[in-house]
Amino acid sequence: MSRAEPQGDAGTAAESEGESYTGQPVKRVEDYDILTGRAEYIHDITPPGCLHMALVRSVHPHARIEAVDASRALDHPDCELVITGEDLKRDYNPMPSGLPGFEEWSLATEKVTYAGEPVAAVIASDRYAAEDIADRVQVSYDKLPAVADATDARADGTIIHEDVGTNVPDGERFEFGSPSEAFAEADHVIEGEYSWGRISGVALETAGVVAQYDTDADAFDIDCNIQLHTLVDDTVYDTLGYPPEKVRLNVPADVGGSYGTKIAIHRYCCLAAMASQYLDGTPVKFVEDRVENLQGGDMHSTERDYRVKLAVDDDGSIRGLDVWFVDDFGAYPRYPVNQVLKPLSVLTNAYHIEDVVYEYELALTNKTCQTAYRGFGVPAHLYALESIVDEAARELGMDPADFRRRNLISPEEMPYRLPSKNIYDSGDFPAAFDRIVDIVDENERVEGGLLDPAIVEQRREEGYIRAVSPSIHVEPGVSGSDWTDRQRTDRSTLADRDRDDVAELPEHLRGSVREDGSIEAFLAADSQGQGHRTIVAQLLADALDLTPDDVEVSYLDSVEAPTEYGTAASRMAVMLSGAADGLGAALKAQLRELGAREFDATVDDVVYRDGVVEHVETRERLTLADLAARDSDGEYTVASYDYQHPASVREEFDEVLTDKLPVYPTAAFAANAPIVEIDTQTGAVEILSFYTLRDCGTRLNPMIVDGQAMGGLAQGIGAALYEEFGYADDGQPQAITLFDYLLPSVKNMPDLELYHQETPSPYTVTGAKGTGEGGMIDGPASIASSINAALAEFDIVVDQIPATGHRVRRWLREAGVDPRGHDHDQEADR
Amino acid sequence: MSTGTTERDEARPTESVTVTINGEEVSREVEPRLKLSDFLRDEAGLRGVRVGCEHGVCGACTVLMEGDAVKSCLTYAVQADGFEIETVEGLATDGELHPLQEAFHEEHALQCGFCTSGFVMSSVELLRETPDPSRDEVKTALSDNICRCTGYHNIYRAVERAAAELDVRAGPEGE
Repeated sequence: MSRAEPQGDAGTAAESEGESYTGQPVKRVEDYDILTGRAEYIHDITPPGCLHMALVRSVHPHARIEAVDASRALDHPDCELVITGEDLKRDYNPMPSGLPGFEEWSLATEKVTYAGEPVAAVIASDRYAAEDIADRVQVSYDKLPAVADATDARADGTIIHEDVGTNVPDGERFEFGSPSEAFAEADHVIEGEYSWGRISGVALETAGVVAQYDTDADAFDIDCNIQLHTLVDDTVYDTLGYPPEKVRLNVPADVGGSYGTKIAIHRYCCLAAMASQYLDGTPVKFVEDRVENLQGGDMHSTERDYRVKLAVDDDGSIRGLDVWFVDDFGAYPRYPVNQVLKPLSVLTNAYHIEDVVYEYELALTNKTCQTAYRGFGVPAHLYALESIVDEAARELGMDPADFRRRNLISPEEMPYRLPSKNIYDSGDFPAAFDRIVDIVDENERVEGGLLDPAIVEQRREEGYIRAVSPSIHVEPGVSGSDWTDRQRTDRSTLADRDRDDVAELPEHLRGSVREDGSIEAFLAADSQGQGHRTIVAQLLADALDLTPDDVEVSYLDSVEAPTEYGTAASRMAVMLSGAADGLGAALKAQLRELGAREFDATVDDVVYRDGVVEHVETRERLTLADLAARDSDGEYTVASYDYQHPASVREEFDEVLTDKLPVYPTAAFAANAPIVEIDTQTGAVEILSFYTLRDCGTRLNPMIVDGQAMGGLAQGIGAALYEEFGYADDGQPQAITLFDYLLPSVKNMPDLELYHQETPSPYTVTGAKGTGEGGMIDGPASIASSINAALAEFDIVVDQIPATGHRVRRWLREAGVDPRGHDHDQEADR
Repeated sequence: MSTGTTERDEARPTESVTVTINGEEVSREVEPRLKLSDFLRDEAGLRGVRVGCEHGVCGACTVLMEGDAVKSCLTYAVQADGFEIETVEGLATDGELHPLQEAFHEEHALQCGFCTSGFVMSSVELLRETPDPSRDEVKTALSDNICRCTGYHNIYRAVERAAAELDVRAGPEGE
């Protein structure tokens, strides 16, 4: 277990031969170009003669479009083109929908369903002119009543999609074990209601696209910063009405963040491509501005209202869990709908609970559509579950730590099959939990520490309440893919599936030996700052006995790459390490064959080591450069490898795979102890220090792992305390600038105290578990628990996330807490 | 769809602007409303200047104007007429990274990198004015910039590392 202090001069890489690079803090190959301003992000790509697009967006949350008048726009001297929804209906296809029965076009047609929905696109010589011209497009609307609250929407008073006939187009109830018996027999049933606010990744780089239609080839070249460009390219080519090989999506090597949210920016790709086609192949560029991004950029994430019940016995044993929630999906069900399903993969978190109900409803409202965000629906679930756990401990009069400890899954139960059939691969939850408790005690419950009783009491007299409540959280890693279309599948057919019906997507890697003996490798995935090129160089160097400097890694576009899954769901560490291992083995085998041919020997007489092929007896050697020179047609020096998803090759996952339930074969986890201090005057919550013990299996590059953890925790802190897309009752968005949507700055970040342990996964090649979503998954729930501990004496529970100062202050006032930190008295009522 | 038919006749108003960027003079006729960020990116070709919010919150577009850190998305090019601008492109000399750039690399203070040039330029200003900053001073100097990837820790560690490195270079006499 190591404290994650700055890596200092720990070294760039293993210098000595034969030493493994895996597990070392190899510095990133991505950095130099970024640091010197040479990196080429999508915003930097502007081909000669490029025109620029701006979008006319709806000012109303819900309205019928009576007319779109472009005449004043067309009068502008710099206007090249105006496109409306009617043009698209004539010439193209609707966008693929998250659920059957919905028809959504890249531009609104008959009506608008949320403020910010694109209604028309204008193309002009430059972006300034395009925005001027967009303002000159006159749209006549007939305003309709809007529904902005999921509970109101469920009543179907105002129907958003008349042809669908309901605002609740999907829902499902799962029962695992015998929950009704568990709830009937338990000594207590605790109930709670919790809300999770609408948040998002808010990447610093907005969406961007440069599209060009090739009139000769009748095909499209589209540069864009979409995430999962080989998986979601159907959203572009289907909409354009072309086969995949005619629509080339290329993502730059450098993308300015996504965190899942750029999966849904396909509308922009389509519109720019259509505009280029209308303009006979002139390239068209679009860069989303920040207001568009926050208001109607299709990148909001989960917004949920939970009703949760926990059945517990007097001794603190959890008997059953009942989770119901409504997910506010915004105006259309987008891919991926199943953000409501991923929590099934960590249904009971780190607790042993066999009898569970899990039920959701999907509600449509007049808000921006929802898409994926780091954790894919799990953070809200863990927040709701941990909150009911806090309430249960409180009702039983138990220390929340003791209550949690009593119910943790034990290491002897690993691998542990959840009631929802996913499997936790490995880990010792009780040990991790106890360790974080000890760490906090040793560091902070001592004289001069943050939790020194004398200091805590002194701060209390000044009106500030300090507390911590340790908790532990499982991070499901490495999504399987087959289950992700469960809601688009006729569910009555699910029972008849067998293992052969399960389609899993492997991860692809290809590579070749170049003339100079270096290796060139290509990823079929895209990257948003995770350092994939570095990781692959590191792993391939190990696989081929080279150094990372000998390996150059690039990316494939959507036509070159097979349709693979790519970057999502903490997949890449695991999938790329498997792929690099397999590609290295494949290349070595081929190079030995080539060596055998050249030495006129059998393959058994030839070994590969340290980047050369050697005849075991004659000691004849051929370097990689020699081998490349003798393989002019690339028969032996080019290879590719598809690494199968680790669940799909193991029988124990057959049941969850065939049932189309979420499949995540690795269970990284974190034990957290954020020390919070609440100002009873203002309600402001400050995190004084955040202790976290993290286990993501083998750490391929500890520097990158720490970076992921710290960044994830920052987003978790933002989600817990600051960030929210608020809406007025009439559906008008209230956070459309970064003055309203509050991102944490360096001033909001506490000291992060990172500790690690490594429990390698038995299911993956390197033992890595994936860690891309950690921090965001576990941060909010653990912060809420510490606030609950601080406010337990007032019987306050964080029932709404984010716990902004305003909300905490309201809870304190409603509980009758005097601002000076004293308990309720008559004075407080006046 | 409808295509524009009118001849391009109305000349948009322009003004002449001359800015010295990383030591080189750049003169252009530009609209008075052209943001300095767009001038630097589109007219001067300096794509290290990043545009993240265009309303002065995120700080990705931070450059030095007459030595002071400014958000170039809140500054118009005409306001920079006659001034000296420094961007991240001007930091490395003869291919050797500036100590701040090197420290960001060593401390893993960047992930997606979109905010990085802004952070680096804010840090340049800080270390010129306060060569030995306290952690609070570093945090205050960086609080005008938003990063969504790193959680900030590695960023202020990088600034502190660079401060130490620059201090060593300055020698025991402190220059």
